[in-house]
Amino acid sequence: MEKTAEREGRPSFNRRRGRHKDALIAAVILVPMFLFWLVVSGFPTLFGFALGFFEWVGLADTPNFIWFDNFIDFFKNPVYTDALWRSIWLGGLVTFITLAAGFGASLLMNMPLFGKGFYRSIWYIPAVTATVATTQVFNIFLDSNNGVINNILKAMGKEPIVWQYSVGWGIFWIVVYSVWKGVGGAALIWLAGLQSVDVSLYEAAEIDGAGRFNKLRYVTLPGLKPIATYIVITSLIGAIQIYEQVLFITNGGPYGQTEVLVFRIYRDGFWDFNLGMAGASSLIMALIVIVATVLYYNWSTKSDKRTTIPIKPVKRKGKRGESHVRNAKGEL
Amino acid sequence: MSATRKENFKNQFKPAYLIGHILLLGIGLILLYPLIFMVLAGFFTKTEFTSTVLSIFPIPKQPTLENFKELIIGTADSSVAMYFRNSVIRTVYNTLWAILTSFLAGYVFARLKFKGREAIFLILLATQMIPGTLAIIPTYLEFARFPFAGGNNPFTGGTGILNSWWVYLIGGPSINIMGTFLVKQSLEKVPLEIDEAAVMDGAGTFRLIFQILFPLQLPIMAFIAITTALGTWNDFITPFFYTTSDNLQTLPAAITRISSVGASPGAVIDYPMIITLSMGITIPALLIFAFFQKYIVQGLANTGIKG
Repeated sequence: MEKTAEREGRPSFNRRRGRHKDALIAAVILVPMFLFWLVVSGFPTLFGFALGFFEWVGLADTPNFIWFDNFIDFFKNPVYTDALWRSIWLGGLVTFITLAAGFGASLLMNMPLFGKGFYRSIWYIPAVTATVATTQVFNIFLDSNNGVINNILKAMGKEPIVWQYSVGWGIFWIVVYSVWKGVGGAALIWLAGLQSVDVSLYEAAEIDGAGRFNKLRYVTLPGLKPIATYIVITSLIGAIQIYEQVLFITNGGPYGQTEVLVFRIYRDGFWDFNLGMAGASSLIMALIVIVATVLYYNWSTKSDKRTTIPIKPVKRKGKRGESHVRNAKGEL
Repeated sequence: MSATRKENFKNQFKPAYLIGHILLLGIGLILLYPLIFMVLAGFFTKTEFTSTVLSIFPIPKQPTLENFKELIIGTADSSVAMYFRNSVIRTVYNTLWAILTSFLAGYVFARLKFKGREAIFLILLATQMIPGTLAIIPTYLEFARFPFAGGNNPFTGGTGILNSWWVYLIGGPSINIMGTFLVKQSLEKVPLEIDEAAVMDGAGTFRLIFQILFPLQLPIMAFIAITTALGTWNDFITPFFYTTSDNLQTLPAAITRISSVGASPGAVIDYPMIITLSMGITIPALLIFAFFQKYIVQGLANTGIKG
């Protein structure tokens, strides 16, 4: 296009091509995408938030602007506060178990074992399956008439359990399923964190006479802090929004006692057509997630600063010593 | 090197290592168990599955490939092959769009200088915080009220583009924000001199983007493609909520319909059919994973570290 200009001397590439041309190309690429994005994602999201300020039951009805009544209802009605509270503690429980188990697994995967690529794969496989499909396998296990677990109980001469009528068991299986699906992914991210810990720190620690436990305590854990904030918060945000497993394993029952907030939103929207309430709950959910994310950013930047300080002096020690010691991967 | 390998091999039999092997393999097999069960159950005939007492490892008396056949070529009385086809079309379409849009948008934010670039990018990233499930109902309303397909009044309602291929066509070409972010990060590491040299050699923007820069980003593009493909393949929300007619269903939506959701209480659930459809979702996903596992693991590791 501007070949003559390009052949002349070469100051800065970007300055020569110019902001105007850049802006034009950017516009040609971005504008159609943005229009689409506005239609499929931006507008519906804003629309959903706006819905929270209307009373609108049923699609044929006309919406009524009612200010904050939906939000007040939300906090007055135990159906919603219970669902919100359940979302939070259930999400917390799932996150805790998944991350703890994933961390243990990642320590094992970080050993110089033969076939660790294979182990990593089989642990991660549950994560790539569809919730819709694999919850159905769990349901076959839990079927009250001919389910696998009840068959085993019967064979052992015990009473079969009607899982569907028990809140405790419903929650238990939701947690088991969520951990089953999440633990491999957590292990992989922890593993990435473990491998980013400076190897020379382990050598230094060994010279100082640290055993396996002390190395974990004083080198591994501080080195994992940045990644820990990342994985804890992202997992928590994900787990608070669990609803597919609730939908497919207990369907909110018995009597709505395993409902979580996103499930409640779905139910309001598609079963009860209480669109205003669904919008209000959505807005509250979004606010919780946004607050959690902002807290994460603040916390993680702070903890980055904290971790770099104690590590540095240790590092210098390590360079002084001869490194004829095996590192964490077992190499010289 | 070989000496280390030999020593390493000896190490495998130390107690700590043996325990590691046993735990990783043992728990790994437990994690795989539901899938093993699913595949074994796939060899049952429908009558045998409902009549036998299921045990931990369901071994059929007369193994049959009928379910697998139904999945792939379909039989006279089932729509399974059609669900499968719809799933494939939707997945391929969305994946192509994700690759194209995330690469182009990533290029724009990494390479071009224009007013408000950072601001636009930050706004895009911020929208990632809003839970996706929350847009289901408004999207439904939008699809129902807006007369894209003509003939529907936006104020009194209607069906709009619900229940038509438009649902899937419009669901694709949005902006893949996570993908854009990854491409931007990775493109910023590619030296500007490459662009410069290409332009000196007479390449236009189009050629620069697709022939020079794109091939350099193949690993990250593979990660975006695989995660999008798996996401779309496993997604039941779009087909389940926005379509009703049978010939638009995908595998996950079909399962959702057949299983207890929406069924009357006390209705008998057609587990053999569900198992067949579940295999139809799970096995292709596993194949995709098996072939591209390297990129998924790498990509996960990268996104994790960058935080």
